[in-house]
Amino acid sequence: MTATESTDGAEKAIKPMLHSFKRMSFFEASRRVFDLSLGEMLWSRRTIFMGLVVGGPVLLAVIVKLVETFGMSALRVNGQRVAGFGIFGVMIWMLFLRFIIPVLGVFYGTALMADEVEDKTITYLFTRPIPRGAVLVGKFLAYLACTFLVVLPSVMIVYFLLVPLSQLPGTFPSLLVDLGLIALGLAVYGGVFSFVGAFFKRPLVIGLIFAFGWEQVVLALPGYLKQFTIAYYLQALVPHAMPSDGVASLLQGMFRENPPAMVCLFWLFAYLGGFLYLATRVVEKKEYILEQ
Amino acid sequence: MSNKKTRYFVAIMGTILAVGLGTGLVASYMGLPVSVFSSAAGPDELQYVPADAAVVAYANVRDVMNSQFRQRFKSLEPSQNEKNQFEEKTGLNLETDVDSVVAAVMPKDGMANNPAGSFLILARARYQPSRLEALAIEHGAEVTEYNGKRIIRTHEGGAAADPNHDDMAFGFIEADLVAFGSLSTVKASIDAHASNHNIVSNNEMMKLVNEIDNANAWAVGKFDAIASKAGLPNEIAQAMPQISWFSAAGHINGGVSGTFKAEAKDEATAKNLRDVMGGFLAMAKMQAGNKPGLQQLADSMVISGEGNTVALAFSIPSELLDVLEGMAKGRHPGQIQQ
Repeated sequence: MTATESTDGAEKAIKPMLHSFKRMSFFEASRRVFDLSLGEMLWSRRTIFMGLVVGGPVLLAVIVKLVETFGMSALRVNGQRVAGFGIFGVMIWMLFLRFIIPVLGVFYGTALMADEVEDKTITYLFTRPIPRGAVLVGKFLAYLACTFLVVLPSVMIVYFLLVPLSQLPGTFPSLLVDLGLIALGLAVYGGVFSFVGAFFKRPLVIGLIFAFGWEQVVLALPGYLKQFTIAYYLQALVPHAMPSDGVASLLQGMFRENPPAMVCLFWLFAYLGGFLYLATRVVEKKEYILEQ
Repeated sequence: MSNKKTRYFVAIMGTILAVGLGTGLVASYMGLPVSVFSSAAGPDELQYVPADAAVVAYANVRDVMNSQFRQRFKSLEPSQNEKNQFEEKTGLNLETDVDSVVAAVMPKDGMANNPAGSFLILARARYQPSRLEALAIEHGAEVTEYNGKRIIRTHEGGAAADPNHDDMAFGFIEADLVAFGSLSTVKASIDAHASNHNIVSNNEMMKLVNEIDNANAWAVGKFDAIASKAGLPNEIAQAMPQISWFSAAGHINGGVSGTFKAEAKDEATAKNLRDVMGGFLAMAKMQAGNKPGLQQLADSMVISGEGNTVALAFSIPSELLDVLEGMAKGRHPGQIQQ
């Protein structure tokens, strides 16, 4: 067998494989990347951080439950006892909506592409015969699965720990709204920060400034600027009363507006779709230069 | 999915979510036997209160009787001789034998003409049933049985023609628990416990009961349900604030402290109510002037609320009770000295 014949044989063998790769649709490619990324994401050090962050409310709920079991009240406002569902509402506001969702959005969203660049593994992904945008979409779906699987069960556990079963039928619809809202919040923040991660060089700093600087300041000011935040639309959909726990909260409460639910949902989905599209475009077009 | 570990994790977390959602959905659409999983808030007697009760009130009589507050005003109570007569007839010492009382109102048509027919009182105490039964029969009452519980009912011959009339009755529903009210409310109470369809399954009411903390007397209720059946003149009904729910709770010991909460129909009504109450409070503070006790009472009152809720918290300190006691002594010097 000559050398030319052997090369021809190898080409013949690889050709169908290459062909099947070339035919891989955007959806199929995203699914493959999702499959690969979910395990990586779940068993990374970042998940330990996420476990600690969402474990906090569960631990707090256990303490509240213990305190109430001994006949004491865990939370009082103006001398009045705040009951189980009231405490759950405060936790949804202060821990989940104001902290956990933005923080997870920032840490995971900005890392979707930035981690691959930093680890210099992006080349391996981009040399595959799949659309570059599918890499981001697959990783974004893995982020959603990863955060939903950790955050939503934590909310569920907190709810069942805090709310007495006698109140369950009356409060369950609110829990469904809370779960939907948290899921939507994770998706929108994730979408926005995946664009930040794909586009900017220092995405984490920019993400933190946006979530805990821009959003917090603008919400406490009168005017239309708050419409350029995610929290404005997300907070308008919360079924619990807004707690006033400090000057910033008081100001935010004072200037709080409640746009109609449909308007909020429209803008949240618009942010999600818009930024995710922009992020895929950036990934498709951008030349990532790996630092040596 | 990539590996076994990931699959297990997804399965466990998915199961937590599915179980939680499933439990919630079943509870929302099919009802949940709460007693199976946890004890409900409030006293056990609530299981004898029909689910349609619009007002429920509770008093821990033992706590109140033993309180310093009651000891302070003991001298204003009926004479010992009258108390002894009551005890001799019924075998019941109100000071030592009664533990708690639950009262409920079940609004119904014609309530304005026959208010007693809508009330139910559940009193937990150490009774001598045979003695009470004998006393009732002696006064013309009749003993019957309903679902295995003994009921003693009175007959009022002249009232038979009145369609709204209902005989008064009391039933021994537990060894130490008596239900008192109209015959129909006592029967409804027995049914409520037997069918497990009682106020404990009324989530709106139980939410209010659950919020009450550290109170030895409280009342919660659906204000509009009572107002609509009370037969109030139109002018008064229209002038009344649009309140849907209310709750009042008090703790009686050395002094008296309490809170009153109401839920208005809308935010505007609640704001108006807060403003009116604020105005009254300001006036009260002005009037209290240099009277230290009253000034302290006025200062202890706090009006709060958000959205369509209004809340008033107050505390009557023992210093103020000293002032009131002094005033009472001034008015009834003879009685006080007894």
